[in-house]
Amino acid sequence: MLDVNLRKILMEVRDQAASEGIQATLTLHHEKSHLMRVGNSSISLNTSENLTRLDVEVTDGRKQASQTYLGMIEGTETIKNVLDKALEKARVASPKTYDPIPDEVEESIQEESQYDEVLADLDPGIKADAYREIFSELGAKYNYSGSWSSGSVEVYMITTANRNEVYHKGTDQLFTVVLKHPEKKWELINTQTGWRASDFSVEKTVKELGRLIPVYEENPGFKVEPGEYTVIFGSDAVSEIVNISVFTGFMGRGWEEKQSWTSQNKPGDEVLGQNITLSDDPLNPQTFMFEFDMSGRKRKHFPLIENGVLMNLMYDSSTAARYGREPTGHDTRSMGIVMNTGDGFECPIEAVKDMGRVLYIPALHYMNMPSRSKGIFTGSSRFNAILVEDGKVVSPIFSTRITDSLQNVLSKVKVISSVSESVNGSNTYGRRMPVAVSVPSYIVAEGVKITDCAESF
Amino acid sequence: MTDSAAVKLEISKNISRISLDGAGYVDARFYQDDSSETILLYDGDLEANDTTIESGIGVRVLWGGAWGFAATSDLSSLRACFDKALLNAKTASKLVEVPLFMGDKDPIKGSYSSPVAVDPFTVNLEDKLEFLTRLDADLVDDFILKRMVYANFQKKRIYFQNSDGSEINKDLVNVFGMIMVMALDSDGEMQRRSMSLYSTGDGTSGWEMITNPVLFADHSSRIKSELKELIEADALEYGRKSVILLPGQGHLQVHETIGHPLELDRILGYELSYAGGSFVTLDSFGKLRYGSDKLSASSYGSILNSPGSFGYDDDGTPERDYLLIDRGILVNALTSRAMINEANGKAGREVFRQSGGVARATSFYRAPIDRMTNVNILPGDDGTLEDIISSTEDGIVVDNPVSWSIGSNREHFHFGCEIAWEVKNGEKTRVLRNPTYQGHTLEFYNSLSAVGDKSTLRVELVDNCGKGEPNQVMQIGHGVPVVKFDDVITGERK
Repeated sequence: MLDVNLRKILMEVRDQAASEGIQATLTLHHEKSHLMRVGNSSISLNTSENLTRLDVEVTDGRKQASQTYLGMIEGTETIKNVLDKALEKARVASPKTYDPIPDEVEESIQEESQYDEVLADLDPGIKADAYREIFSELGAKYNYSGSWSSGSVEVYMITTANRNEVYHKGTDQLFTVVLKHPEKKWELINTQTGWRASDFSVEKTVKELGRLIPVYEENPGFKVEPGEYTVIFGSDAVSEIVNISVFTGFMGRGWEEKQSWTSQNKPGDEVLGQNITLSDDPLNPQTFMFEFDMSGRKRKHFPLIENGVLMNLMYDSSTAARYGREPTGHDTRSMGIVMNTGDGFECPIEAVKDMGRVLYIPALHYMNMPSRSKGIFTGSSRFNAILVEDGKVVSPIFSTRITDSLQNVLSKVKVISSVSESVNGSNTYGRRMPVAVSVPSYIVAEGVKITDCAESF
Repeated sequence: MTDSAAVKLEISKNISRISLDGAGYVDARFYQDDSSETILLYDGDLEANDTTIESGIGVRVLWGGAWGFAATSDLSSLRACFDKALLNAKTASKLVEVPLFMGDKDPIKGSYSSPVAVDPFTVNLEDKLEFLTRLDADLVDDFILKRMVYANFQKKRIYFQNSDGSEINKDLVNVFGMIMVMALDSDGEMQRRSMSLYSTGDGTSGWEMITNPVLFADHSSRIKSELKELIEADALEYGRKSVILLPGQGHLQVHETIGHPLELDRILGYELSYAGGSFVTLDSFGKLRYGSDKLSASSYGSILNSPGSFGYDDDGTPERDYLLIDRGILVNALTSRAMINEANGKAGREVFRQSGGVARATSFYRAPIDRMTNVNILPGDDGTLEDIISSTEDGIVVDNPVSWSIGSNREHFHFGCEIAWEVKNGEKTRVLRNPTYQGHTLEFYNSLSAVGDKSTLRVELVDNCGKGEPNQVMQIGHGVPVVKFDDVITGERK
């Protein structure tokens, strides 16, 4: 549970505010973050941050304001001061044209099931040793870079609506190493993720990169001409496609405001291929589990797409209030998106042995959407991409651009792997808030539009 | 400890202590105040009324050729923060193939304040809301489905000290603004037109900037009428033609395909696992024809009122005005102290003579990395926008990004824009919707055939440039005139 003193003073301020009839939410976010960065086969940066943020949101009828404080919390006075500033701003605010839905912690939750003390304070020396071992195993002739982020997050939230408390404590890590050939310029990547220190092993990285190095060493790069191709998307690419589909297709706000590729559909319509099933599942251990949202709602398994059919849209409380809907527990930055697995072979190359020429694109770089309404996305291949012909690996491929629609790609999926993988989608902009998706280790889609290709990796 | 004089004294003592321990370099950035206020009106409703206040210290220690960094908001534990940074550096130094070093520099005592007439944090919320609500009212029209008015005010009070003996105080103020209108086209697709607050480069950057109608409010009727045309327009077809970029789009082109590839840490491979690398190598400087003779690009550009102007960087180097590309030839990069030392060592010659002063951190709890300042295209002698259009046989004029996707080494790109105007035989003929264009960076800049004069230049302000691990969002500016490129792939292949 949260530090006893902090909890006590937060609750004191809550009680006082409640007795004065103030409608407020107090959220404490504490992170201990460590990141080791590697460049030119050296550790270039080793960081530690120990940060506590207090978010206070106040609702005064139809007026709202929020105040965030990152600094020393020296007692109740600090917290009261932040609350007072939010109150002052809310009183001056212009009223909305609708009634906001007040935050309320539905039930007290204490969630610590994905917390590992070892990972919370992982000795950076262990990280340095692991990188050294990887460089040594794979060869000093390559140039290595990468990063290894690890740390812990505590989130504690109370509202003046009642004395219920929600508390989350978890750990997470994302390990990355990039191996670059100094002359040929190709780049290979390996990532590992998890909430336990033991989720990482040097062997996994050495094995995975060791398998790819000969393909890149022994074959020149292949320039893909524009056209339609059968593509194996690896788990990172699948997670990119799934995430962008979810955020531009299944959020209530985008749908209500006709800015979504599903806006011309409604729940019950078939919008993707019948072999596609997607959900938001806060209890899936391959995501970083988060059982409540930041309006105090308990999060549950939430079907989005079942066998290609749109099931539900996700409403945060602000969108729900504006459009007269019920909030669905999606005032959160830490969703647990899951794409169901299929019955494909474990090995993607085996899965395409009868499909002729196939591009294997494990990851997509810098995806964006020229048209959300039409579901058109664009992005390019980056690491580990290879050309496969008749089930045989032929050569690495140069940086290749895909510009296609989400509906086209996710309606022409011929094979879905039977194995699921956790893909870490966390970023560290602002505060630490881990997020991961659980997706098949690959999918095979036909008729994917390749629109450009460089003559370099 | 909240007394800032006492904190500064404590910083000084700790820098001396860690230096005496044998550190190659130490610095500390004490953010006495880092405030940000965001106001968003969405269809007139106040959807964001948020303020963030941060304070704390970030400490960097270079030991054995490797950086250790630690940050805390607890000023009672300053000594522990320095010790943690030192420990982190010592751990990092166990795996060093290419040692980093800062080089000796004379100490600098300096200060910098953004040129501000009215500090936006002294303007009360009522007045801000009244101004923004008036802007919103100007956007109302029957055909418009969604309206957005956004403002963001930033203020940073930073004290910097390093083991060179430098001491620098900075008071930085940034103001950002954006208006947007949206409506459905005949296919049921949402179209939008937007306008961001821009700078002319030589004014001030306080509240008075956003209330200057020329820079912001006067554009509401224009974007409404353009949206009206847009929703009735045909879509741009696939083909090859000239593309004329207005500064609203040109700045992002410059940002992504000149700014980022010329950041020296990217060139040296420090961003490979996240943002990516660069097609530029150390051999490229002084040789690579980046673009046509018409292309000259600079860093900083002595622009006064831009978030890319900050006086001194977070290595303690004064910001410099210098050329990156000179009449098409690549001549310099966006550089910081440790990176130029590494680059020169690696190349075995002096590729870079002095730091470009681009080491910046977004907050006290992030370590400085190479960030572009104001990266600009210098105005040319091809006249006004009208002059450039009149010399174009078959082309489009495009404005404002909808999407941007760039290859990992910045070698190729794809942009989607809000609006295009078709140009045929020297005349603007009609509006086209869903414009996109793509290309390969060097081929594209070598097709640069016209650069507008000073009258076409705007300094566009960017508040959301992401880079680095841990991730950092940075604020910068770009001074860009109207530019024309020939034989560019436009629209999407069927």
